[in-house]
Parts: sequence; structure tokens; C-alpha cells
Amino acid sequence: MIAENTQTQMRKGILEYCVLSIISRGEIYASDIIAELRSAKLLVVEGTLYPLLTRLKNNGLLSYNWVESTSGPPRKYYTLTEDGRGILSQLDQTWQELAYAVGVSQKGANS
Amino acid sequence: MEKTIIINIGNTIIHIEESAYELLKAYLNEVKQHFANHADDLEIVTDIENRIAELLTEQLEEQKKQVVDAANVNSVITQMGRVHDFDTVEEGEEEPVLNNAYQYQYTEKKLYRDMDNRMVAGVCSGIAHYINADPKWIRLATFLISFVGGFGLLVYALLWIIMPKAKSRIERMEMKGEPANLQGFQKNLDEELQAVKERLSEVNKHAQPIFGRLGIFIGEFFEWLGRFLSGTGKVIFKVIAGFIIVFGVLFLLALIISAAAFQGFWDASIYEYFPFSIINESNRGIILFGAFIVCFVPILALILFSIRVAFNKQAINKTLSFALLIIWLAGVAVTGYQAAKISSEFKQHAELTQTADLKTYKTYILDIDKSKYFSKEDSIAYHIDANQKSRIVVDDFEDGPFVSPNQIRIDISKSESGITRLTQKYESQGKTFQSALQNAQNISYSYGTKDSVLVFSPRFQLRKGTIWRNQEVRLNLEVPVGTRLILKEDTYRYINNYWTWDCKNTENDHNDYSVWIMTEDGLKCVAQLKEEAIKKEKLQKELFDLELLRNNKPNDTIYQDSVSNRMREVKDELGIKPEQ
Repeated sequence: MIAENTQTQMRKGILEYCVLSIISRGEIYASDIIAELRSAKLLVVEGTLYPLLTRLKNNGLLSYNWVESTSGPPRKYYTLTEDGRGILSQLDQTWQELAYAVGVSQKGANS
Repeated sequence: MEKTIIINIGNTIIHIEESAYELLKAYLNEVKQHFANHADDLEIVTDIENRIAELLTEQLEEQKKQVVDAANVNSVITQMGRVHDFDTVEEGEEEPVLNNAYQYQYTEKKLYRDMDNRMVAGVCSGIAHYINADPKWIRLATFLISFVGGFGLLVYALLWIIMPKAKSRIERMEMKGEPANLQGFQKNLDEELQAVKERLSEVNKHAQPIFGRLGIFIGEFFEWLGRFLSGTGKVIFKVIAGFIIVFGVLFLLALIISAAAFQGFWDASIYEYFPFSIINESNRGIILFGAFIVCFVPILALILFSIRVAFNKQAINKTLSFALLIIWLAGVAVTGYQAAKISSEFKQHAELTQTADLKTYKTYILDIDKSKYFSKEDSIAYHIDANQKSRIVVDDFEDGPFVSPNQIRIDISKSESGITRLTQKYESQGKTFQSALQNAQNISYSYGTKDSVLVFSPRFQLRKGTIWRNQEVRLNLEVPVGTRLILKEDTYRYINNYWTWDCKNTENDHNDYSVWIMTEDGLKCVAQLKEEAIKKEKLQKELFDLELLRNNKPNDTIYQDSVSNRMREVKDELGIKPEQ
């Protein structure tokens, strides 16, 4: 239970970063984001993604375009805004630091 | 087969099965509720709805289907994730806070008919849900008040019309007042309005025109009747059929036994009594046979039909039943022919008169002898010991076998010759005059005279072997003017030409006889004559008084007029012609 909780916290922390990273590679549709996350073994259900995307969009990190779809309603395709890119580079840096921190924590500073 | 609903989700029109719709609606409600306190709930939910629409459309295309079913919805839900899976990510931000007001609103119960737990139309069950009671008590109450002039039935029918069926899952939940955890949980004003609209449309749906409702009611009623007849009703019919079989078989046995009896196996003397005495001896067998078939076949058919109802089995095949019909028709024909033949033997009429002069008395007493007239043969047949004189069999007038439905009739008339004379007229019908006369001759009738007492037997007998051809006995008693007759009460019903019941004799406490006198104008009741005489005396006295009064005030015209008016009235009543 404790492990689970921590795992959830860790996943939650990096999910936002991962989503931003995926979107940074180009305009993308929500379900494709899911697919990428799945292949990255960062398993989430789609329902989780929408609130996250909405929040990021409202915070000005993302913007979207309506794109007509052959099946079903028009789709929202997300792109990173300039703010988003700024945040992402900050997060990249933070991730580097974290990765370093984790590596050091696991193997010692002198390895 | 399932009912399909057309929904608009994410601006896409989708055909969806009702069960799948319920599922989807519940899921979306869950989602809405989950994001209710979220700042961007509308956008999130719209995104999710759009995605669901897309997924469903994809699935339909993939599976080459037209209608979304529950499996499709379930796979979509799996993909989108349930709300508790959402929590793992956005936890803390949108902890769902239950709004008590909404909660309350949705736990409010609604009155629906419970179609899952119904006896007839689910009315009682629905009421039971509404007031939180056991349906059986409601049913019992309904059953009991049904006996109050059918009041319960009327109320039931009305509620049947008024209360809507709980069709959908949501309606069933509303009916049971279950916590609406899957229900819509709208915070946003727009969505609230939307909900209000939905409810309004639902209300409209329920408030269909009364004829539509009546139509539904009638349709459902017959559906229920059908179910009843094929279910419980079937059992009742079978029970009835069983009774018919048992009684029918008993009746057939009785019929066979009585046919055997008529055939003379036991008692041939039955033909001496009406109405069997109508039948000629030579025709008895064939008529008996015909009548037997006419009665036997329909009852047999009824039994066979009941067997079919009771055991769901054809007891006989078509050919056999057709043969039965033919036999029956033959029986009807034979009986009809014989009946026609017999009725032709009533064509001619003959009568035979026999007179006897009676010894002259001032007063005669007329009475009826209730003791049955027995011939010697009868005495043997009924095992009456002729030596036991004290034993008298009293005829009860109405019951028991008798030879003729005709009673004797007594006419009383004035004797012109001064001789008391009793005329017996025997009448009968027959095929020819001769046979009619023969039939009349075969009447045996007796009356007794003992001094001035005339005792008549109420019925006549037919000599053995005589068939009934509407024989009648009419007696005519001629008495000279001035002769008194004392009629015993028993004779009243046989006196033909006078209404004897009204003659009340004040001196006779029991009112069991009346005294009559023969006058020039016919027979008169003595008590009535006396009354009339008293009245006449009174009137004459009044007339005498009035004549004296007339002389009192010769000049007072008003007085004179009133006196002479009254005199005219009195004279009129006395039968005195006014002088003029």
C-alpha cells in the first residue's frame, strides 16, 4: 500500500512532464498521446489525460487546433505554446537534476 | 430484439441499445459527478464525450454494425477508465464533494408501476416502493376494498392509467428511491438547465393525452388478461373442466339408468303418469331412444370438450365427433317426428256428459276429498292394505306423479227446473272423433254424496292403458233459487265461474268456509248480502230522515238544494230511479 502510494506519486509527477515532452515533438491527438504513454509503459487510462490537458491548456502551456476527422467528431490536436516550451526546458533541466539525484542516491557520488 | 435509442454525443448521432444507453448514461453521470468541482469540468466532460463518440463510431465501423451494444460501451469504458482510476493522477485537485441538496433531490422517490415485481400491472408494488411497505399488504388491502362495491378495482384501474411504468433503470431507481450515485450531478448552470429540460420532456412524455394513456391501459389490460388466461386462468378452467367431466359422467350414468327404467326394466307404471302418459305404447321405445340420444350426445360432447381443456388432449378425432353429430341430428329428427305425430292426435275433440239428479236439500255442503282416489290396482301397486281402513293417503295437490295436469272444474248455476242436478262432462282430444270419445270414456272420476254433503275428488284418473290426450272433467252443479251452499275453502280453487275467495264470513273465525245462496241473479255470498242489506237499511233510514228535513226550511234555497242533492245520492245508491 505504501509502495503503491509512492509509485502513484512518482508517476503523477512525471506524467505531466512526459505529456509535455510528447507534445513537444509535434502536433498530436489525445489518443495518440495515450498510445505513446502506453508504449512508454506509463500506463494510464484516457480519462486521466483530459483533465490534465485541459489544465495545461488553461495554464497557457498548450494550445490546440480543431482538425476534421474521418470518423466521429473533429479532434483537438495539441501543440506546445512558447510558454510551454519554456516550462518544458525548465522541466528538462529539473529532470536532469532528478536523474542525477536518483543516480547518485542509488550508486554513490563517486561512481 | 432490443429497443434502440438515438443519442447525440459529441455532436455525433449514434444508435444505441437501451441497455447500453443506460450503461453509458450511468458512466457519463459518474464522470460528470467526478469532475463536478473541477474548474474546467465542462470542457473535460466535453472532451471525454467527444472521445467516446469517436471510439463508438470507430467500433461500429470496425465491426460493421449499426447499433452500439453494451459490449461496445464496456470496451469504451475500459479504455477511458473508471473514475477511481482518474483519482490516481489528479488527486487532491478535484476531490468530489457530494452536494447534499442534489443528493436529496435524487433520493426523492417517484411513483412508478413496478413491472419486475407485478401481479397484475405493478400498481401495488409501485405504491409499496413509494411508501416503503411490503407489497403483499398493499395487495391485501386492494383485494379487501375490492369487495366494497368494487371500489378497489376502480381505484386500481385508475392508478393503472395514471401511474407510468418504470421502464428504464433510472426510473426503477427513482421508484425505489435508491441513492443516486450514478445519477447526474450537475453543478454547472447550463447543465442544470439541460437537466430541467430533460425532466420537462419526460414529464411531457408521462402526461400523454388521456386517450393515449387509455390505449396503453387497454393494451396492457388485455396483455395481462392473456397472461392470466394462459397462466392462473388456465388452472381455473381446468378445474371447471374437471368438475364438468365428473358431473357430466354422473349425469350420463343417471341418463342411462333412467332410460333403462323407462324401458320397463323396473317400473312400467311410470307411463301411467303425466307427462309420460302422452306417449303411445307402440312408440315408447323409439321416442325413448330418440330422447335419450338428444340428451346424451350434447353432454358427451361437453365432457369430451372438457377433457380437451383439462388435459390438452383431443379425446376423439374429427370423424368420430362428426359421427356423433350425425347421430344427434338423427335423434332430433326421430324425436321431432314422433312429437309431431303425437300432436296430431290432439286434433279432434269429443265430450261425454253424464247427469245425476240429487236429492233436494235446503243447504248443500261442498267439499274436496284430499285423500287420493285409489283403484284396486293402485292399492296393490302402492302396497296399501285394503283392510287397514284408517290409513288415508293424502294428496298434496301439487307434488308427486299424477295422471293429468288438468284439475277438475266446478261450475255452479241456477236450476230452472227446481231440481238439483250434477252434470259431469268428460272431454278429450284424439286423432279422430271416435278415438277422442274413446279417450273421454276412459276417464274415471268419482264424487261422493252423503246426505247434503257433496265431496269431490280433486283429480280424475285415467283407466289403465289410456294415453293422455288432454282429458278434462268439468262438473256443473245446478241448484234451485233459494238453496244455500256452504263452500269449504278447499273447493275455492276448483270453482270455475265464481270468485269465491272474497266472500268473508264474519261469523267464521277460521275463514275456512263461506256461505252462498242461489238467487235469481246467480250465486251470492250471504255475508255480502247481509252487509248490503245493512247498508240499504241505513240508506233508507237516511232517506226517510232527509224527507223530514226537506219540510223544515222551505224558503232556504241553499238548504233545500243540499238536502235534495243528498237525497239524489242516496236514491242512486239504493237503485231508486229519480222521479221525473
